[in-house]
Amino acid sequence: MASDTLERTIDKILDQTQKRLGSELDGALAESGKTLDGARAGLEAEYDKIISDGRKEADKIQKQIVGSSDLEARNKQLLLVEEAVDRAFTQALGRISDMDRGDSYAELVEALVREATDTLGSTEVVVYTSEKDRDVVGSVLNGFAGSQLADDIIECLGGVRVVSTDGTMTFDNTLDARISRLKPLIRKQIAAKFGVVN
Amino acid sequence: MTSVGGVQYSKIAEIKGPLVIVDDVENAAFDELVEVETGEGERRLGKVLEVGNGKAIVQVFEGTTGLSVSGTSARFVGKVMEMPVSKEVLGRVFDGLGRPKDGLPDPIADKFLDINGAPMNPEQREYPKDFIQTGVSVIDGMITLVRGQKLPIFSGSGMSHNILAAQIARQATVVGTEEEFAVVFAAIGVQYSEAEYFRRTLEESGALKRSVLFLNLADDPAIERIITPRVALTVAEYMAFELGMHVLVILTDMTNYAEALREISAAREEVPGRKGYPGYLYTDLSTIYERAGKLNGKTGSVTQVPILSMPSDDITHPIPDLTGYITEGQIVLGRDLFRQGVYPPVNILMSLSRLMKDGIGEGRTRQDHGEISNQNYDAYSRAQEVRALAGIVGKAGLAEVDLKYMDVGDSFEKGFLTQALDENRNLEETLSLLWKVVSNLPRTELTKVKDKYVEQYYRGSDA
Repeated sequence: MASDTLERTIDKILDQTQKRLGSELDGALAESGKTLDGARAGLEAEYDKIISDGRKEADKIQKQIVGSSDLEARNKQLLLVEEAVDRAFTQALGRISDMDRGDSYAELVEALVREATDTLGSTEVVVYTSEKDRDVVGSVLNGFAGSQLADDIIECLGGVRVVSTDGTMTFDNTLDARISRLKPLIRKQIAAKFGVVN
Repeated sequence: MTSVGGVQYSKIAEIKGPLVIVDDVENAAFDELVEVETGEGERRLGKVLEVGNGKAIVQVFEGTTGLSVSGTSARFVGKVMEMPVSKEVLGRVFDGLGRPKDGLPDPIADKFLDINGAPMNPEQREYPKDFIQTGVSVIDGMITLVRGQKLPIFSGSGMSHNILAAQIARQATVVGTEEEFAVVFAAIGVQYSEAEYFRRTLEESGALKRSVLFLNLADDPAIERIITPRVALTVAEYMAFELGMHVLVILTDMTNYAEALREISAAREEVPGRKGYPGYLYTDLSTIYERAGKLNGKTGSVTQVPILSMPSDDITHPIPDLTGYITEGQIVLGRDLFRQGVYPPVNILMSLSRLMKDGIGEGRTRQDHGEISNQNYDAYSRAQEVRALAGIVGKAGLAEVDLKYMDVGDSFEKGFLTQALDENRNLEETLSLLWKVVSNLPRTELTKVKDKYVEQYYRGSDA
């Protein structure tokens, strides 16, 4: 009798424990389901963020690589063009230096002297020129009253450097000075031959 | 450009500060370019400031150090200073006078343009109303920059204005169009480390390809600074109005420019104005700032972001004061935020973009942009008041809604304002962050935004 009561009590306790554990497990299952659902949304957001950050980073790196290689190529092209322009320039200067000092050159020198004396506002000037041009310039100066050819010579491709008699004003009309003033435009024209600019 | 050179004068009457006074000069013109040659054959550039009575006052850009009255000569070139321009200047680094600083040859010029620029016909100006995305939330969201605008950054010494400027230069873009975008960056009197930072940061981000840099360093002659913004703007105008590009010009630091102007003014013994700056400071600054804009019938635009560091953080100082009269708003960096480590430390309550309202909203950015921006201004302003109140009565004495406003203040500074140096946020992200900030408030507090937008974007606890 006593053992029957004991067994029933044990069964009852077991039954209750089983029910409690069952409901606890159900609760835990529901709880973990909820947590999982919540985490999934967060995870998806996190996943999207990682993907989007990754894309941004990839885009940044692509821009960096493309940008620097484009620039590098362009800079190499610039150096090549400059080298070619320099070569063309050197050849042109050589030809100018060796050109015939005939009648047309005397006309050019006269025009250069006139431009200089007009700018300085007087023909009473001292004219400097190169060794090669002394004769041409000397004969041209006969047409400019008060002008004199300097004893000193200057190093230049051609043309004249005109100085006022008091030495305070100088007008450099040598071919070198004129070429140097026009060099940017000449560079552009040479570069255009290489198809670099319009 | 002409083949005819000018006359060289060798009678120097006086050398005074950055000025050389040449005697017995005939036919010199105001603003004419001058080549000053030393006895040793070194050449420096300058320009004519004044002519008359047989004298010409020449301002030497590269300084007069080492020049003597005897042996120095000045050649008046017969033209104003010109900048050679072509598309090839993109990706190049120049000094403050526009000479290459990157070891490459001079750019092959398409044109030679007067650095003083051609004045814009006011009748031809087009009202700026197209959004520029900088990728910096506080600017895009609340102080929006539009194409053709001039929007200065007012900063203080030691603050992160140059880092912000470099970030804008790297990230700025025009969205929703295939039109080309370029950045012209003029550093005026900056330290070598800063100049190097600008160059490196643009190079590493790949943005150098679409940028032109003009770098005048702190140890370069101060007078050169007068020219730097002008050569930069000449290149910008060419790219905008001849090549049809949208150009953002960043000029940093305009305070150094004004200092150089003061130096020349003092050397010329002019009557000083406020704090010793010349009386024509306003007019002079306007010749720079007014070169921003958009023209009818032209695709491109010139947008300016000049940066100036306010001496002693004083916003009433003549430089920010006069700049503020000319420009269309200002972005003010706050010392308190900077000390707290907030980057970018923009004090939005003192900042304003006057053209923002025309550049945002439906069809330009997003329909709720203006309203959510206003709501954030309002909430942050209230948060500041509540913070001040909490300083007196303590947090315990505050109402529940006031505590929420305090949270809004923190969230605004840490979540919205704070941004990494390399973080490029698009407009959608920026606007989401603005909504996130105000979502800390009860829905009833959102009085500046239409209900339909609250319905769509509000994510607060009572959503």
